[in-house]
Amino acid sequence: MFDTLISAVAFGVVLASVVAIGSMGFTIQFGLTNMLNLSYGGVMTAAAFVAYILVSHHVSAWLGLVVGGLFGAVMTLAMGVYVFRPYARRGAKLFELMMVTLGLGLVIDYGLQALSRNNIYQFTVLQSAPIHLGPVVITPTQVILAAIGLAVFIGLELLLRLSRVGKALRATAAEPSLARSCGIRTGRVVTVTWLLSGFLCGLAGVVYAIDSQSIGYSSGQTFLPLVIAAALLGGAGSPSGAVLAALAMGIVTQLVSALGQPAYSQVAGFAVLVIVLLARPGAVGGGHNAEAQVTV
Amino acid sequence: MIESEKLADAPVERTASDGDGRVVLSARDVVVRYGGVVAVDGVSFDVKAGEAVGLIGPNGAGKSTMLASLGGQAKAAGGSILLDGRDVTKLSAYRRARLGLLRTFQSTSEFGDMTTFENLVTAGNGFKGASLTSVVFHRKENSRSDREIAGRAWEMLERFDMTHVANAYAKELSGGQRRLVEIMRCLMTSPKLLLLDEPMVGVAPHLVEKLVGDLCAIRDEGISIIIVEHALEVVRALSNRVVVMSFGKKIADAPYDEIVNNREVQDAYLG
Amino acid sequence: MGAWEFYITTLLVYFAIDVLSAYSLNLQFGFGGIINLSYIIFQAIGAYVAASVSLGPDTGANAFQTYLFGASLPFPLPLILATLAGAVLALVIGSFGLRRMRKDYQAAVLLIVSLIAWQVVSSDTHLFNGSNGVTGVGRPLGTTLPLSSLGYQWIYVVWTLVICAVVYLLVRWLSVSPWGRALRAMRDQEDAAISLGINVTALRLQVFVIGGAIAGLSGGLLVEYIGAWSPGAWGYAETFVILTAMFVGGNRNYKGVVLGTLLVPILFLELPRFLPPFGYPGLIDSLEWVVIGLMWMASLLIRPQGIIPEKRNLVYAGNFDGVLRGRSMSKLSLRRTQKAEAK
Ligand SMILES: Nc1ncnc2c1ncn2[C@@H]1O[C@H](COP(=O)(O)OP(=O)(O)OP(=O)(O)O)[C@@H](O)[C@H]1O
Ligand SMILES: [Mg+2]
Repeated sequence: MFDTLISAVAFGVVLASVVAIGSMGFTIQFGLTNMLNLSYGGVMTAAAFVAYILVSHHVSAWLGLVVGGLFGAVMTLAMGVYVFRPYARRGAKLFELMMVTLGLGLVIDYGLQALSRNNIYQFTVLQSAPIHLGPVVITPTQVILAAIGLAVFIGLELLLRLSRVGKALRATAAEPSLARSCGIRTGRVVTVTWLLSGFLCGLAGVVYAIDSQSIGYSSGQTFLPLVIAAALLGGAGSPSGAVLAALAMGIVTQLVSALGQPAYSQVAGFAVLVIVLLARPGAVGGGHNAEAQVTV
Repeated sequence: MIESEKLADAPVERTASDGDGRVVLSARDVVVRYGGVVAVDGVSFDVKAGEAVGLIGPNGAGKSTMLASLGGQAKAAGGSILLDGRDVTKLSAYRRARLGLLRTFQSTSEFGDMTTFENLVTAGNGFKGASLTSVVFHRKENSRSDREIAGRAWEMLERFDMTHVANAYAKELSGGQRRLVEIMRCLMTSPKLLLLDEPMVGVAPHLVEKLVGDLCAIRDEGISIIIVEHALEVVRALSNRVVVMSFGKKIADAPYDEIVNNREVQDAYLG
Repeated sequence: MGAWEFYITTLLVYFAIDVLSAYSLNLQFGFGGIINLSYIIFQAIGAYVAASVSLGPDTGANAFQTYLFGASLPFPLPLILATLAGAVLALVIGSFGLRRMRKDYQAAVLLIVSLIAWQVVSSDTHLFNGSNGVTGVGRPLGTTLPLSSLGYQWIYVVWTLVICAVVYLLVRWLSVSPWGRALRAMRDQEDAAISLGINVTALRLQVFVIGGAIAGLSGGLLVEYIGAWSPGAWGYAETFVILTAMFVGGNRNYKGVVLGTLLVPILFLELPRFLPPFGYPGLIDSLEWVVIGLMWMASLLIRPQGIIPEKRNLVYAGNFDGVLRGRSMSKLSLRRTQKAEAK
């Protein structure tokens, strides 16, 4: 029993590092644009497919990871500029934009379903003997993935804290109109945000596919609630918050699947998101004068 | 800054003692916080029946928040609010409205996709006619009272010279007309007290005078008014009692002419 | 000829049931401003309940499947219970999912509730036989009515269309009533509605429950027609089909949603059957979903009100029927009153 718990926690940490990458991308995007982007999961899947194709043509998995990330960045930027911005120009508010992302998510997901012939593909990058750490049996791949999660977190924190772009991003997220009047070129900040969050999104997609060793058209979409929940729980725009929240959620969902039915681990993840959405203090209100702003 | 212009010479026709002196609303040490910001910090004042009170103060002083705490949109963290002697501090906004405490908002809040006339009828139906049970179970009576309400709505439009836009969508109206729709909507519910948050914003200058006249008429019918307004000539024309707020605190509560010469008030405005 | 007739009648039944769904969503979104992205689970619970109370106990001939409350109730009862089930589920979900919050969050909550319900019902075989679903539901009065199978088809068409008409009268009556006006007020300006004394919490829950009841009824009708129900029939994305129909045709307008239903789930989703098959099997289905997504996005961009916009309820001096009963005057009397008014 105790062993089960320990290994559930270990798997939780691995899952958390995968979730965390996605949540960090989501949180900086959400922190800036304030828009609940439900097509994020579709981009994750698309990037994962790109990496899968590369890897199945004997390209190194590391390269696949980077290319997947870049693909996510470009795709997200394109969506931001050619889809969300036109809607926002026509006066779409947060709610309408969320609806647009929902439709776009449908297009991406089922487009991928058409392209992938609705099959689930096996995606194994590294076949090696599992490592025994006390009661925990873990694969080297999982260790690497956890390390990638940590590395991304440190890199992102450094970028946001030390670089000018990072500072401009944080300033714009806090107060868009003020940032604009202080001479920050918010348009450029938005572009950088699309690229950066898109890169993390693509990376998360690839990492998730590698971790679950399979990929299908709905991979990202089933994973998305966990990502959003961690991002919102950690506080919009806060990567460290997202990471902490991802840890909590990864461990909770793995405990649920270890103790109860595995099918319910996903349900647990969904349920956490519902609770977060319902309970998030900033979520309530949004009333008459407080119609939240969108920046896209 | 504190200089009444156009309406300065208008005859001052009202006095605070017009009403029977009964207190309609009384705010006692009301405190409202937004996170760490104390937006309203222990404000108290009374409003008598048929009295109009101006609530002024620089931007961010907490005037809108004060109205929100009276109307129930913002929760008071301390103090109490009495309506007709009844403590309504814990009541939700819609219940306060049912007791006759009506308000408008700083940005216009007409029901945009309904016609002007429907805006009024909706308000007139109020909560009794609009509840599902009354719609389902007392159809006959309702349709009679519906007709009455529609008749009243039409009279209201005639009174405010708005019949020509009865069928226009409220979102198509001009700024001034939208303000008027909001006010008419409140009147449809036969209120005791109106809270108006900057009702002259967006009203064309030449219509301000008319709207002020309308508000005076409403006040003279015995409906109390609290008006938040930056245009002081409007406040002056409507009320001879002014409450001044600054940084969440009440710094003065006196007749208009005294306020104008009050050092503290001048300092608050000049910063 | 028989096959064609069978096909047409089937389409008509689906059409009627989709129109019911569209009415429900239109009442909730078009008039109440609540976007119910979990619509399909209310239809699903109606279908499951209607199925299990007409299948009989899950032993004997039905031992191959497991489900809750097996019973074999006579004809109208399963439908009534399906309606109630939809309403009760709406009450439960509405009591937490309709709290006052950012509208996009609320939509997301309902969407995820839909995902949760799907996941739970498909993986837990004790509820409604898991992912295999329940099957073998007999047609109501199928053995008592002395009808050929085609004759029965037509009877079922009439039956569903009659229900559609009744529900239409109900929702229309509700939406032109003072209650409906309060609903639209809440949709347009929630804060102002509250400050006029409207209890929006109750109002939202009421419209959600009424919509849920209609959804449950539609599910009952559907399962009694097709005889089986499983998670494959109610993926979260099914909700989007009806919503797209509503956006395209005109949310806020009952004629509009009927038009949309005709265009999207019937014409658009059925036409590919008549195309020469192309690609691998299943490709057409995927592409249909892609186009649904594109239609969804396009209708949000081009015509947010849809093809037929909301009806404007007009009033002229002394004639309030347009507003109070949603009844438009004849052109003649309209002109007459206008003239009188001009004088
Ligand atoms: N929803 C809110 N959340 C956080 N702070 C708020 C909120 N609404 C107002 N505040 C803060 O409370 C203080 C008072 O604001 P309020 O709107 O009441 O001022 P006001 O006197 O009406 O100003 P104005 O004349 O500009 O309308 C301000 O410092 C404002 O920033
Ligand atoms: Mg204000």
